[in-house]
Amino acid sequence: MNFHHIMITIVLAAAMATGMNAAPLLDSVKVDVRLGYEVGGTLPTRLDNKIRGINNFDPGLNYTLAVEASLPLKGRWSIHTGLRYELGSMDVDSRVKNYDIEVVRGDQSLKGIFNGNVRIKSAQRRFTLPVQAEFAPSDKVALRGGLFVGYLTKRRFWGWAYDGYLREGSPVGPKIEMGIEPGERGDFDFGEDMRRWQWGIDVGVDWHFHKRWGVFAELTYGLNGLFRSGFHSVQPLHPMYGSLGIMYRIK
Amino acid sequence: MKAMNRLIYRHITSQIAVMAIALTMALTCTSCFGDEPDGCEADIETVTLHVASPGDFFFQTTDSMQTVYSTDSIITFSVRSQADVSALAPEFTLSSGATVSPASGTTQDFSNGPVIYTVTSQDGKWHRRYRVNVVPTVISVADTLSFDFEEYELEPVAGRFYQWHNMLGKDWATANDGFRISMGNAKAMDYPTTPLLNGYDGAAVSLTTRDTGPFGKMANKRLAAGNMYLGTFDIKIAMSDHLHATHFGIPFANLPESFSGYYTYEPGPTVQDFYGNPIANRVDSADIYAVFYRNHDAAGNEICLYGDNVLSSEQIVAVADLGYVTPTTQWTPWDVKFVYRSEVDKEQLANYGYSLTIVFSSSCAGGDFIGAIGSRLCIDKVRLICTHDQ
Repeated sequence: MNFHHIMITIVLAAAMATGMNAAPLLDSVKVDVRLGYEVGGTLPTRLDNKIRGINNFDPGLNYTLAVEASLPLKGRWSIHTGLRYELGSMDVDSRVKNYDIEVVRGDQSLKGIFNGNVRIKSAQRRFTLPVQAEFAPSDKVALRGGLFVGYLTKRRFWGWAYDGYLREGSPVGPKIEMGIEPGERGDFDFGEDMRRWQWGIDVGVDWHFHKRWGVFAELTYGLNGLFRSGFHSVQPLHPMYGSLGIMYRIK
Repeated sequence: MKAMNRLIYRHITSQIAVMAIALTMALTCTSCFGDEPDGCEADIETVTLHVASPGDFFFQTTDSMQTVYSTDSIITFSVRSQADVSALAPEFTLSSGATVSPASGTTQDFSNGPVIYTVTSQDGKWHRRYRVNVVPTVISVADTLSFDFEEYELEPVAGRFYQWHNMLGKDWATANDGFRISMGNAKAMDYPTTPLLNGYDGAAVSLTTRDTGPFGKMANKRLAAGNMYLGTFDIKIAMSDHLHATHFGIPFANLPESFSGYYTYEPGPTVQDFYGNPIANRVDSADIYAVFYRNHDAAGNEICLYGDNVLSSEQIVAVADLGYVTPTTQWTPWDVKFVYRSEVDKEQLANYGYSLTIVFSSSCAGGDFIGAIGSRLCIDKVRLICTHDQ
């Protein structure tokens, strides 16, 4: 039984416990178990003109598993929270021009301008705690908005700069060509530089088309950046996860 | 219920498909990326000198065109002593979109020293200044060339590492240029090739095999042997094709006879392989040799020796190799004769048709990133005895 199976068991057990032990005070609480398809990855703060094109993009096949609850407050408003287990991955191959890079490793740093191709792969496992205000315009639909805190239990971010060249230091610094094959290209691995703790904005929408069954869409955008402060890699990147899925009301 | 499940399933799969298509479109639509940014580079990439009779002007007709390294800002053409250099119109190829002043192809006078050219990048933000020299050259007839390593300086651009000059017009090449890519924050004395203040006689040069740190490890180039050689280092391909980045040899018009000097050598404690794993029972060894070769092939193409053929090329005419460099902490003399493998064409010799390199390295397998961190070879008072053509 690997880590991943243990996590699914924990989330399901929590769901069961919530359903069974509900105190009378929480009678009005609604609890859903959710399973979603997740596109998880990273986005630059802006797609500037230094990125000349995407050669290939593979969002990866990931899922999110969650148990979430809504506590009615007043009228159509509720407070929404829960626990999510998310798997995110991404594989992007892009073409860049005059792209600033600065990489710090221990007491060494490498800075410069890159022209060529960059392949970036990432994979994360994240536990997320959302806290959202929920508004229900009808009995079937709920709109949610708020914040989340996430913790990465797995963080990988690696890739290579290839088929191009680096100008070390500045555009007039030494020119260093990058080949295509391993050993000729510029490999990087920034997994260790990723933040464990992430926080940011979380918005979602739920539609209960059946007494127990429903579908949902969720989007989280990290505000504190994918990498720890002081780390300058390719350019500022922010974690962004989107998911679509089904939910089942257990209470 | 079954029908309902099918409906849900169809709904979800269509949702996923819509989302995937939307994302793919967002990320592949090039119009999102805006106009291509202007170039920010400002290099002279090549220089060509067109003259009426190249045979009377250049020693070799292939000398009329030079490829300029990105690290060079001085470009020198050595031409025949009788050549008229007062009205020449060099033509440049530049970085994409860059401009040069004075313009490419305009006539300039090179008889009063170098002409300064300024290149400006397409975006106008970056500039580089080049000194172009065209120097009428009298071939040296010195019997003995002395390399005492007394004169060295920090490289002028950023002052990060040391470099050495010599009387041959081309500086000594070292691994320092490449080392700075992986260890940009290292101090000048922590580079592979450094001055040694108290050598055998005055200053000497110290060559140390260094760890290339986290970036070296990332690039599978875990060490840099301390080296020094006559030739050039092409940093452009140091990453993608490192064995061809070491260009051995400079044009040489004398006949080398013997090669001598003083050394100390202390191998580092543990030899490591390409992957950084220790190799048991192996002691590092150094290289001290000189190679004399024909720098053009039978078809007249320019030939240079590289890291993978400097001792095996068929162009080689003579080699003086110390062979096994016995470890010693005492200054130890060597004196080896050049062993000639073929005849030398006197006319070609007088026209710089031969090149000479002298190579020192603290780890002889450093080109394959195998060696012992800390291996140290010190060199002083090197002499090259020549017999010149009468």
